[in-house]
Formats: sequence, C-alpha cells, structure tokens
Amino acid sequence: MLNSRRLALFHCWVAFGAFLPAVLLGAWQMLMRSPLPAPLDDPGAYYASVTLHGTVMAYVITTFFAMGFGYAVAATSLGRPLRGAAAAWAGFVICLVGTAMAAATVVAGKASVLYTFYPPLLASPWYYLGAFLLVAGSMVWVVLMVVNMVGWKRDNPERPVPLAMFAITATALLWAWAAAGVEIELVGILLPRAFGWSDLIDAGLGRTLFSVTLHAIVYFWLMPAYIAFYTLVPQAAGGRLYSDTMGRLTFIMFLVFSLPVGMHHLFADPEHGSGFKFLQSFLTFLIALPTLLTVFSITASLEIAGRHRGGRGLLGWIATLPWEEPMVLAVALSLVMLGFGGFGGLINMSYAMNMMIHNTSWVTAHFHLIFGGAVVIMYFAIAYEMWPRITGKPLRSKALARWQLWLWFWGMLITTIPWHIAGLMGQPRRIAIFDYSLPLVARMASLVNISVIGGFILLVSAILLITVLVRSHFGERSVTEPLRYALAVNPPRQVPASLNGFALWNAIVLVLMIVAYGYPIGQFFFLKSHSAPAVEVTSQSAAAGVQ
Amino acid sequence: MAREQGPFKTDNPWPRIGWWSVAGLLAAGAVLGFVVLGGEQQNGPRLGTWTAICRALGIASDTGPATAPQPPLQTPTRIAWTAATLARIAGGDVKHGEFVALNCAACHGEQGVSQSGLFPTLAGMDAGIIYKQLDDFRAGKRSWGAMNAIATALSDQDAADVAAYFAGRVNGLAPILGENFHGGRTLREADVATRLAFAGDPARGIPPCAACHGPSASKPGAPSLKGQRPEYIERQLAAFAQGIRQNDINRQMRTVAMQLTPDEMHAIAVYYGSGAAPAELAGR
Repeated sequence: MLNSRRLALFHCWVAFGAFLPAVLLGAWQMLMRSPLPAPLDDPGAYYASVTLHGTVMAYVITTFFAMGFGYAVAATSLGRPLRGAAAAWAGFVICLVGTAMAAATVVAGKASVLYTFYPPLLASPWYYLGAFLLVAGSMVWVVLMVVNMVGWKRDNPERPVPLAMFAITATALLWAWAAAGVEIELVGILLPRAFGWSDLIDAGLGRTLFSVTLHAIVYFWLMPAYIAFYTLVPQAAGGRLYSDTMGRLTFIMFLVFSLPVGMHHLFADPEHGSGFKFLQSFLTFLIALPTLLTVFSITASLEIAGRHRGGRGLLGWIATLPWEEPMVLAVALSLVMLGFGGFGGLINMSYAMNMMIHNTSWVTAHFHLIFGGAVVIMYFAIAYEMWPRITGKPLRSKALARWQLWLWFWGMLITTIPWHIAGLMGQPRRIAIFDYSLPLVARMASLVNISVIGGFILLVSAILLITVLVRSHFGERSVTEPLRYALAVNPPRQVPASLNGFALWNAIVLVLMIVAYGYPIGQFFFLKSHSAPAVEVTSQSAAAGVQ
Repeated sequence: MAREQGPFKTDNPWPRIGWWSVAGLLAAGAVLGFVVLGGEQQNGPRLGTWTAICRALGIASDTGPATAPQPPLQTPTRIAWTAATLARIAGGDVKHGEFVALNCAACHGEQGVSQSGLFPTLAGMDAGIIYKQLDDFRAGKRSWGAMNAIATALSDQDAADVAAYFAGRVNGLAPILGENFHGGRTLREADVATRLAFAGDPARGIPPCAACHGPSASKPGAPSLKGQRPEYIERQLAAFAQGIRQNDINRQMRTVAMQLTPDEMHAIAVYYGSGAAPAELAGR
C-alpha cells in the first residue's frame, strides 16, 4: 500500500479510537432517557453527552475514516504512491487539533449545543473553532483526492479511472460542496457571535446554511460503504461486479442529488415558504434512484458470485456465498438495515408525512438505523478487509469479527425498532428526562427499556470491534495479499468523458444549488431578518434541567 | 479515452442527458411546488398563479420582521388617590346623598342592604370604595347592566354625596361567622375557606383574603365583604378569574381569583356570605 499505509492506519485508529467512548456515551444516554436508574443522573451532563456523541460520530469518525480509506484507495486503485503525502499529514494534524479542541470544550460543559449547533444557542468559541478546523483540515484530503485522480488521468490518457478512485473522488467533491454550508455558518454567523463581534444571531440563516450540510453529509458518511459495495464486496464474494457503468452512474447521482435537498430538514421552520420546501422534498426522492440501482447491482454481483461457486436454482446461489467472509456477511446485514431505514426515510422526506414524526424519536431511530447501522457496519467490514493489508498481519479472528457484526446488527435493530414506535407515539427527541408516571409517557416505558438492551448489545459489539483490531494489530506479521478491487463482468476499456470526470456534474450541481438555495439563502439579505439574541449555554448549571 | 469535453456542449450524449433531465426535474418540481401546491387552500378556492407563487416563496402581505402583538393599553380605573380626590369624598353631603340614593333602593335594597344575590350591599361600605366604583362604571372600567347608565347620570359631587350616605349606614348589617377570630389561621387548617381567608396558599402565591379585606371582612381601602351575599361574592370572583371584571388597580383580585378552583370560590363565597342568607345556603 506504498506510502499511504501509515496514513490509513493513523486515520482509522483515530476514528475507531473515538468510536468506543462515543458508543459508551450513547449507551448511557439510552439509560438516562429510560425509566431505569442511570449513573450520574444529570440533565446537564446528558446534553453535553449528546453533543459529544453527535460530534464524534458525525464529524470525527466519519471524516477520519473517509480520509484514511481515501488515501488507501488512491494508492492501491491507482497502483502508485499517493501524491502529496506531506500535505495529507498536515491535514491529519489540523483535523486532530480541531477534534481535541471541540471535544475538550464539550467535556468542560461549555458547548452543550448538539452537533447541529442550533442557533441561537451559543457555545464557547473553542467548540466552533475546533469543528471548523476539523472540517477545514479535511479539505486538504479533498484537494489531494482530486489532484491524484487528475494526475493519474493525465499520465494515463487511454485508460478509464478505476471505479474505486472515481468513487472516492466523488465522495471528496460531495464533501467539499456539503461542508461549504457549515463552514460559512461557522465563519459568518457563529464564530463572530461567540467571539462577541456581533450581538445577534440570525438563526434562520444559520439553520438554512446548516441544512446545506445536514443532508449531504449523510451521503458523505454513506459513500465509503457504497464504495465497498461496488469494489470490495464482489471480490470478497469471489465474483465480479455486475456493471462498472452502473457504479459510475450511482456515484454521479449521489453527487448531484444529495446536495439540493437539505431543506427537508426545515419543513417545520417558519423562515421559508412552502415552494422551496416542496422542491427540495421532490428532489430528495431522486436519491432513491442510485440507492435502488445499487441494491440491484450488488444483488446481481452476489448472484454472479454465488452461481460461480456452484449455486443453482432461483435462490440457491445465496447459500453458496462465502458467508464466513466478514465483508459478505456485512453487506447482507447492511442491506437489511438500509431497507428498514430507507422506508422510514421516505416518510421523513415527504413534506406532509414528515409532520407526523417531526422532532420525535422516530427521526433519531431512523438515522441510527441508516448511519449507525447500514453504513457503520460497512466501515467495520472495510476495516477488517484493510487491516491485514495496512498492518501486514492477519485478522484475529474472522469468527470474532462475524460475532461482532451480528451483535451490531441485532443490537441496532433492537435499539431502533422500539425507538421508531415510541416516536410514533409522540416521544420527543433531545429530551434528557421523561416523567414515566404520566400516563401518556408510561405507555412508552417498555419500548424504551427494550431499546436500552439494544444499546448495551451495541456497546458489547463495539468492544469486540476494538478487541479484534487491537489483537490483529499486535499479531504475528505474515505475508498478505494487497487490497484488490472487484473486476467488472465487462471491464471498462473506454468510458465516455462524462463518466470519467466531474466537470459536467460539478456544473450541474452548481446550477442545482443556485436554483434550490439561491432564493432561500438570498432572501435573508433583502427580505427578512431573523436575528435574535443568542442563548448562551456555556454557563449552564447542572441543575438547569427539568427534575 | 475520449478527450474531456466541456460540460456545456450538449451535442454530446451525457451532457445532453444531464442538463435536460435536471432541467425537466426542476421544472416539474417548481410547477408542483409553486403553482399547484402554492395555490391550494385548505378551506377555500384555489389561488391565482401569481398569488400562489408569492405565497410559496413565503412572501405574504404581512412579510417582514415579526413583532409580538401588543395588547391595547388598558387602565383599570381613572381614579387617582390624590389629596383632592380624598378631600372630595370626605366632603360628601349625606343629606343630598340620601336623595341620590333613591335611585339605588330598587336593586340595592332599602337602606342599602341587598336582598338579591345579583347586587352588593352598600350599607357600611367605605365611601372611597363606592366613589371609585361609581367612577369606574361611568368610565366603562366596570360593566354591569343599568349601573353604567345610572353612574353616567351622576356628577362627581353626586357620587361623593351618595358614597357618604351609604358609608354612614353601618347598622343592620348581617354578622359574619368568622368574625370572632376563632382558630384556623394556619396552613394546616382543614376547612378550605377558613384556610384561604386567613392563611392563603403561598404555594400558589395566594395571600390570605383577610390581608386586604380585614380579619372581620371590613378594612379601609378594600371593599367590605361584610353583609354581601354568597352568590354576589362568587360571581365577582368568577368575573375576576375570567377577566370580565378588570378594575382592580394592581390586578390583585384577578391574580388571586385566576388561581382559585370553582369549589374554592364557592367555599369562600359561602364563608363570607354566611351571615347574609343562611336559608339559601342550606339549599345549595
């Protein structure tokens, strides 16, 4: 893996190192919300914990993992050393400093604003500065992905860019577009107020800018999983990718359609009219296209592998798949969770149906199932696949890894299915303490208790993950094959220029963003002002919550 | 490998597919969101296209920074307790007041002792109180049927005179059962009315009634409860609670009455009105 090996290892260790404490916080939060007794029964600590859990899971783990995976992919798929390794290390350090700054501020109780910031809530400037550095540092990675792909294309004018490299560059571009929203919000609105340079916060503008990030970031999280679906799963299953073109189209569609859709997070916000909310809701439905295309391609690729291994009949190929491979097991579990979560997502994105579940536990359950389930389980599988290649030591052991995946799967289902139901019953999200003596809340008690069990299964699974990775890290060195990517049934010899680069698609994204967000953001500058005094939560006392 | 083409050259198939499909999707979404959905009203006819688009953009006639609705300025009374006011009341002519009081007897009873649950007893009431209520009726600060018209017909001097007349008629008033200061001034008192009258309910911010109305239901500066009928007291409490009566200068009665339950209002009314109509109470 040439010079990217150490880069990938460091990034992944930061990601998974942060993962375990974040899961621990999650389990404690489940306990806190439940009728069961929780240690440190303090609402102030709860909101700090939710902030840290969200920040680590949404920004730290995903960003570091995508960067590490990206460096590995760039070096292995292009078959040459990573260009700009020094810059990559600089980016790593910037991200790490940002992470430490943000995390320390939250732990100090000075930033209980949740990772989505929620202006006019106001945290300590160190939190915002940390988040900004983390995002800004990852832009180094974005530039390096583009530089490596463009450089390879220039050196290999006759060959199509390998699908894995094409996809990780799409991921990087998607993140660059998506992160623009949160960066502008931080620099333009939150940091000036946090430093005391302005008196008011334009909450409407802040929320709108964050919505640019808030949905596309989900696809930034998702993309490494999809890259594994297309390029690693067919290889691990012993087959071939059904279609290389479908893969390219999928990643292009994610880049185009996951950006102009964030306002479906603002359906209940008063600062926008119904027109743009509907338009973005409408565009959100198009994300179903690459999702369904992927489900089809991956199932087809697995069928190719199963039949190649001797499977016969309509469904006989399923049994012959190498289920002992963590990657193959993970993709099946991931698709099940993607199915459950995806159907829930259709309700969230529908302008009218959203009102039924707005701000309830349903939403929390939905993104835990999609991100915490379908996506993260693929991160695990990718880690199990990459670890021997990065460390040069075999995985210890595959059986333990399978246990971990199964526990994660069941843990997530047991956590999120009752959570969905409690949401339908009206349980609000972001609440530290429920009074279970009220008849309306008492009905949810048993559901919440079941969720807690799921939460602790997830904690056990997270401990297993770290166990497997650490044991492998310190194992005996042995020769391992390099990371190999799946060949397509018809390997591409020539692809159209538009499926081999992003100029066209970036231009389309630009137009879509101007149409979808031009007026909703522009209106704040010529029509309305929503500026409000900030609500500082930096000095929130521990007893501020409802007892 | 094909040479990289400009993203805007629509004679190539992929740019053509990309741009046309995006344009089509945007057009469909815009028409559905701005014209179709924007024109739809829950209980009304479809809006015109232009109005629909403006509405879908969030531009309505009231677009602009929202302001909190300001309640109309309301003064509970016109009376200011200046030396001049007090001097005017003190100088009330009882003789002329007796003449003016002929207007009152039909409702407030002979000698100002009410025989009906609708009307208060005026006999023995503090002159300042009567004068203020008359002015409130005249200014529309308090409303009750004929009283507004009658009060409007009186001059300031007439009001002071009739107030002086009724204030002097202290004999013949019914006693109050609680007047003899028996126990029950603590929060532990079981009887609701006695507890509220003498101890209040600090948890709800309710001061004891006796703090203003006096331990024997009569104290200068507050209307006398002495001799009032329970129906009248209960009706006034309810009127304060609902904001129908608003002429308490510092909202003290509205604040207290809002916190009382109907049962508590009834109990207090029965307690203070117990001397006035024992026969009716038994029936209730």
